[in-house]
Amino acid sequence: MNIRCAKPDDLMNMQHCNLLCLPENYQMKYYFYHGLSWPQLSYVAEDEKGNIVGYVLAKMEEDNEDLKHGHITSLAVKRSYRRLGILNILPLNLYKNALKFETVEIEPKYYADGEDAYSMRRDLSEFAKKIKKRDGKKDDKPEE
Amino acid sequence: MPSSNPLPPKENALFKRILKSYEQKQYKNGLKFAKQILSNPKFSEHGETLAMKGLTLNCLGRKEEAYEYVRRGLRNDLKSHVCWHVYGLLQRSDKKYDEAIKCYRNALKWDKDNIQILRDLSLLQIQMRDLEGYRDTRYQLLMLRPAQRVSWIGYAMSFHLLGDYKNALNILNTFLDQQQKGSNFDYEHSELLLYQNMVIQESGDFQQALTHLKVYNDQIVDKLTYKELLGDLCLKLKQFDKAEKVYKELMKRNPENTLYYIKLIEAKRLTETDEIIMFYLDLVEKYPKAMPPKRLPLNYAQGDQFRNLVDKYLRRGLTKGVPPLFVDLRSLYVDPLKVEIIEKLLLQYVDCLQSYGKYSDTETNNGPKEPASTLLWTYYYLAQHYDHLSKAEEALKYIDLAINHTPTLIELFVAKGRIFKHAGDPLEACKWLDEAQALDTADRYINSKCAKYMLRANKIKEAEEICSKFTREGVSAMENLNEMQCMWFQTECALAYQRLGKYGESLKKCHEIDRHFTEIIEDQFDFHTYCMRKMTLRSYMGLLRLEDVLRGHPFYFKAARCAIEVYLHLFDKPLKDENAEQDIDIENLAPSELKKLRNKQRKARRKAEQEIAQAAQAQVKKDQYHKSKQQGDVEADTPQLDELIPEKLAKVSDPLEQAIKFLQPLQSLAKNRIETHLMAFEIYYRKEKVLLMLQSLKRGYSVSENNPKLHSCLIQFSDFLKRVRDSLDETVKEVLEKETETLLRKKNSTELNSEYLSKQGDSIEATLECCKVLYQLNPNNQECALKLVTSLDNKFKDVNIQTCANVLKALKSGALGDCDSLIEDFKLRCHKLFPYCTDFRPAAAAASLNLSNSCDANNHAKSTSATELQNSNSN
Repeated sequence: MNIRCAKPDDLMNMQHCNLLCLPENYQMKYYFYHGLSWPQLSYVAEDEKGNIVGYVLAKMEEDNEDLKHGHITSLAVKRSYRRLGILNILPLNLYKNALKFETVEIEPKYYADGEDAYSMRRDLSEFAKKIKKRDGKKDDKPEE
Repeated sequence: MPSSNPLPPKENALFKRILKSYEQKQYKNGLKFAKQILSNPKFSEHGETLAMKGLTLNCLGRKEEAYEYVRRGLRNDLKSHVCWHVYGLLQRSDKKYDEAIKCYRNALKWDKDNIQILRDLSLLQIQMRDLEGYRDTRYQLLMLRPAQRVSWIGYAMSFHLLGDYKNALNILNTFLDQQQKGSNFDYEHSELLLYQNMVIQESGDFQQALTHLKVYNDQIVDKLTYKELLGDLCLKLKQFDKAEKVYKELMKRNPENTLYYIKLIEAKRLTETDEIIMFYLDLVEKYPKAMPPKRLPLNYAQGDQFRNLVDKYLRRGLTKGVPPLFVDLRSLYVDPLKVEIIEKLLLQYVDCLQSYGKYSDTETNNGPKEPASTLLWTYYYLAQHYDHLSKAEEALKYIDLAINHTPTLIELFVAKGRIFKHAGDPLEACKWLDEAQALDTADRYINSKCAKYMLRANKIKEAEEICSKFTREGVSAMENLNEMQCMWFQTECALAYQRLGKYGESLKKCHEIDRHFTEIIEDQFDFHTYCMRKMTLRSYMGLLRLEDVLRGHPFYFKAARCAIEVYLHLFDKPLKDENAEQDIDIENLAPSELKKLRNKQRKARRKAEQEIAQAAQAQVKKDQYHKSKQQGDVEADTPQLDELIPEKLAKVSDPLEQAIKFLQPLQSLAKNRIETHLMAFEIYYRKEKVLLMLQSLKRGYSVSENNPKLHSCLIQFSDFLKRVRDSLDETVKEVLEKETETLLRKKNSTELNSEYLSKQGDSIEATLECCKVLYQLNPNNQECALKLVTSLDNKFKDVNIQTCANVLKALKSGALGDCDSLIEDFKLRCHKLFPYCTDFRPAAAAASLNLSNSCDANNHAKSTSATELQNSNSN
């Protein structure tokens, strides 16, 4: 398995993965829109044959200069590649505990199957500050 | 520039308001103003007003009137750039790009510096890949608007697309030189620099690219791309120490990217297997959570070292309960020695886990026992392992052990279904997937797999119903899945319909998929302008290159192959009007059954007619709805495509021409696949195009020279030549003479056939094709041919469900003459080899009766050999 930044040729296979895994689907043009507006943001996981087995499709919300933030449009992993074990870790826990997201809002019964939608965020400005500080020191040393 | 028929000030003001209304999409207002001008008898034939009225009507969905007004306008003012431009826009909205280009060119004749028309023209040129035209238009745009950034970028890109790197770089350099006086180094500037670097690299000057990258280091904000490019260039220029440093940094950033490991090995110039394995093992400590350092050494290790490493890897996965453990290791299965080692280890685990709850008996006394789930995951692994090796019996044994152990784990049901699928029982497979689906109705992946298995079992209605749990309400699942471009589903439907002999339905699905590809190619249109503004030029180049080869995608191949097969079938056996779509086996029916069937068909036909009438009504309603909803954005307004009606598609009048339409993209984009050339041959053979047949054969032989089907084609070709040689044109004959020298080597069909069989006699597939030829050449060869092809002894290396099914199909089809008495017998022997496969299942209870007889037949067949065959030929 290999995890890397997505390229334009990956987009069709991401759509395929999405259609297999998730109820929210989009036409190709929407994938193009993501890949061509923010080429750095979307990632794929591929198996050894190069099949896309998982992806994250992401965009920037940049309308408000002061509140610029990233937004995950869609994220999926084929079930045959999910490493859940029998415990079935809920995605909610993944975001909360492993990725340190905070819940901002819960929209009840958002999804077709009656499940609630969680709006979750993680403030990344700490990272930006750290990077600025490091770059400020001005060094081109390897980060080992 | 001015119209040949200028309006007085008052009317001119009204005309400007029409233009404004159009821009602001206030079409009703536009029509009102147009009416005010046109109702004045003096201006009732004013060309530009008529044209604008037409364009506005187009936006309201009134296509026919639109064309009428635009054409009338143009006729009244042939020298008006507005009229021509409008006509171009109208054509463009109908995707008639070639026509639109002509219109724009005419418009420019009367107003050569019109920016808007030049821009519109350039978009069509890039869309149609008229690269030289595009370059010329971009040049004019640059001359007219030298202050605009896009003018420079567009002109540079036009050279890049033409492969003229020198000019592309000159223009970029000139532009960037003017730019860099200021210092607003932002994302867009950074993307432009990376694009510039891409062009330098494609020009082949890696040294220059490296220098460029270093110079602009602090202006490039995409540090990941910067480092990936830097590492790659250092490697290309053999600056290994530098490359090593860069790839170490990259690995630290994302230790799950396998490419970094491979590049780092290259940078460290490690070539010995031991060194490479040590390299990975060192990294396990550094990146304990990363997968590649643990997994990749398994690709290199052999023998005992492999055993030790894979032992550790398996235990870790089984104890943790990692469901994809098998799919993760599957790629190792190309090496039979590794398979043997893995199998031995797993059998040992099962033994010891069952007895003492440990992986091996050397550890019975130390440490805690494995959790109960370890045994479960070991069963699960073994089931998939044996399934992969086509050992259905063992696979089922272990999957049943697993299900008994934990009856609630969905993965187990999926695996059991897959085992049955591979073993040739699609119905049973489908049953288990349905079970899995019922256990977790909220997971679309399971839902999709279940639908796929249903389609493999030809249960189309059921599959649609299952899918509908996840499609939008209020629309049929079929319709919604088509709208969402769900091609896997449509392909599987097409294939199921093909198997069922519902050729029209099958073609409908194939055409729907083809239309998705057309639509995805259309999709790029808006990005020509968009990307140049956003400055994401590298990705834009990626898009253009992707679109150029879009139909090379496997989804297209599958759909095209299905469509071509169906069209060939419809050519060979055109549907008769009265019993349109039905059915395959009529010859084999008793008269009473036939009568029942006819009754059923009559009823079905009546029902179908009603359905069509209903559908037509619904379509009318839908059209009305669309019309009323029409917001009339010209660009978004897609032309109405002809409705795909299965009955019409099945009664195609030019099946071979239709097949060629599906074939052509494959010939340029899937030329490495032998099937492309086999299909091409079949089409051109039926069209009796001798040179195109020859071309297909030659291409086929360059891809796969021993392919059995290709051998068949060659024989057909040789016979065809024999038949038509005398009637051929002299020059054609000359070409054929020369070109067939290497293919036919002056041998006749019989000789070619024997020669091929003696070379490929260890393949049942090859033998089958040879035997068909043998029988066709001389029906007296039947006995010999049948013996050869039905002997399933060890001399064949490729006896499997598919190849045996092909033989059975050939026997049933009469390709080897009448051989009914042999069919049941052959089936029985296949049944013995593949007891789960439904194709070979003997009629109901009689199952186990004749097994001993069939073994005799087997022995008989063994005595026939290739030499015997040659003798029979020469008789």
